[in-house]
Amino acid sequence: MMQFLAQPVGAAHYLLVGAVLFVCGVICMTTKRNALGVLMGIELVLNGANVNFIAFSQPALRADRGLALGLDGQVVAIFVIVLAAAEAAVALAIVLNFYNNHGTVDVDEADELKG
Amino acid sequence: MTFPELVNSFFANTLDLSIPVFMPEIVLSGTIVLMLLVRIFQREPRFDVAWLALIGSAVALYYACPLFGAPDLKQFMQDHPTAETFTGLLIHDGISAHFRTLLLVFLVLFIIFTKLSGIPDRIDAPDFFTLVLGGVVGMCLMVASNHLFMMFLGIEMASLPSYVLSGHLKGRRKSSEAAIKYAVFGAGTAGVMLYGISLIAGATGSLHLPTIATQLSTMLGDGTLVGGRLAAVILGGLMLSVGIAFKLSAVPFHFWCPDVFEGASAEVNAYLSIASKAAAAAILVRVAFGFSHLPPPVPETEPVAAHAVEVADAPKLLLVSTAAAKKAPDSNLMLVADGDANGAEAAKPADTLAPVRGFIAGLIGVIAALTCTFGNLAAYGQTNIKRLMAYSAIGHAGYMMMPVSAGLVMLADSPTDAKTAVASVAFYAIVYLFMNLMAFSLIAFIRNSIRSEEIADYAGLIRSCPILVVCFTMTLISLIGLPFFAGFVAKFAVFASLAQAGLYGLLVVAGLNTAVSLFYYIRVVKVMCIDPEPESRLPVYVPFLPSMYVVAVTVPVVVLGLWWNELNEWVQMAANTLVF
Repeated sequence: MMQFLAQPVGAAHYLLVGAVLFVCGVICMTTKRNALGVLMGIELVLNGANVNFIAFSQPALRADRGLALGLDGQVVAIFVIVLAAAEAAVALAIVLNFYNNHGTVDVDEADELKG
Repeated sequence: MTFPELVNSFFANTLDLSIPVFMPEIVLSGTIVLMLLVRIFQREPRFDVAWLALIGSAVALYYACPLFGAPDLKQFMQDHPTAETFTGLLIHDGISAHFRTLLLVFLVLFIIFTKLSGIPDRIDAPDFFTLVLGGVVGMCLMVASNHLFMMFLGIEMASLPSYVLSGHLKGRRKSSEAAIKYAVFGAGTAGVMLYGISLIAGATGSLHLPTIATQLSTMLGDGTLVGGRLAAVILGGLMLSVGIAFKLSAVPFHFWCPDVFEGASAEVNAYLSIASKAAAAAILVRVAFGFSHLPPPVPETEPVAAHAVEVADAPKLLLVSTAAAKKAPDSNLMLVADGDANGAEAAKPADTLAPVRGFIAGLIGVIAALTCTFGNLAAYGQTNIKRLMAYSAIGHAGYMMMPVSAGLVMLADSPTDAKTAVASVAFYAIVYLFMNLMAFSLIAFIRNSIRSEEIADYAGLIRSCPILVVCFTMTLISLIGLPFFAGFVAKFAVFASLAQAGLYGLLVVAGLNTAVSLFYYIRVVKVMCIDPEPESRLPVYVPFLPSMYVVAVTVPVVVLGLWWNELNEWVQMAANTLVF
């Protein structure tokens, strides 16, 4: 671990940050009972992927420079930011509608449909 | 690249090549804008936006359908040859033409259906049709995507409206619960899929599907796909399959399907089970085949690629479009081009992509078998007709996935049979359109009359509306896959491709599932025809026009069961142009 930290910053370091964000997001999505907490977990997952895309887009960060994504990776990241906003808007509207009908935002209360 | 060259390539690629085959999406987008404008300038909803949506989708269908302007698909593909549009983001080929036509035919029929069934009402119509048309635009992008990020955007464009549509009945507890489950689950799987895409892109250095295939082939050829890179590609592939499995409602990502179907209205169910599923099946074909075969030589006519060839001074196998042109001085592309050229010289080189193909085929085969079995077994004990149809949809997703696996197995040795397997997916999607549209329109019209969707309340329906029950019975028999209805032909094509590929295990699973599905479909028929009518049921009355609609969408189910040859030729032609 110390060795990893002592190295000059490369794509691997960014990927580690991305992976931590992703895992935090997945844990948040699966364990939170509050719908808003789940939505926050989703944002974390999307941003973890974003960090990956940016790290992969930069040739200077990679030993195999030829495989850098270049502008593609950065454009993807910008699109994902917009998309995350759109998704959050729709999901919040749906959560609000759920709250109006059930008086709670606890996803465990969504248990009428089963079988 | 100098500025004038850039402008020239923009005109040649975007305006001359891409826009003409992109007209359906443009028309749909224009219609959406018009519908929103109508909403702004009209305080009271005097004008029903459904008509506007109907006209817009009919015009889009006119541009998309090969039958208008060209006598058949072959002629259409000659007029608009297979080409990557928008610098390789999308691809125009037989599969995209076929599935886009299917989606737009469905859209036209669907708008008529909602007009007859009364959901949405006039006040909700602008919102509802904006979402529906927006979702269909996303699905059109999905079926034509040639780039992993375009695929992701298409899936999201199709998903977001679906979340809202499933919660469209605002005051209902069940509807809002369905929407929240669908949105949370869908957004979660989309996030996982995006992370998977980022891993694949990082490991292979591209998001463009043919470039990824070439890159993988090169890496497998010279043994550089090892260690972390191999792990990234496998993990990325599995995460990507999570997103696609969610759209297809394949096990183990099917939980949302029954709940959403029960909570949402029957109209939305028709939309989700037909359009969404057809687009997901198309994307499965695209991704599975995109990863596992090398792209063909670039068509000579493509101007941008020609330019790229000039720049890189590589043989014509140099990869496509501006993605190539942009990176041409880059070392990796030269590498790609070299590897590819070597392969071509060796004339049928060692099949480097075989492990990729084996992995994907195995994954799809296992998931298909599980999906099919689970869907059919779980449907058995259902009491709500919409829930039953949801499990039936899961089962049919399994049948639709099977030929993809078979096609991948046969791809190396007999590409013609692989194309036939893909054609059977395309055929199944068409037949499934009419079967499910019929079933859900009947469910909606009966709901309007008796305010119930319980199977028990369908008892003795044959004495109130015999014609509809006969139609529904025919559709159910077709869903089972018994002769002589369209479902039989579709299922026969699927089974034939499985037998051809030698996947006898999968064939046995599919056969047993068909036998199991017999029981729960026939139980509905038995309840409708034999059981005595319940005391408390409201009188059943389905007006003339809705009845006619139900009969009209049943006609193809019968006709395609007897005269399927023309459609079969059509889907064969569509599959032929899937790049090989």
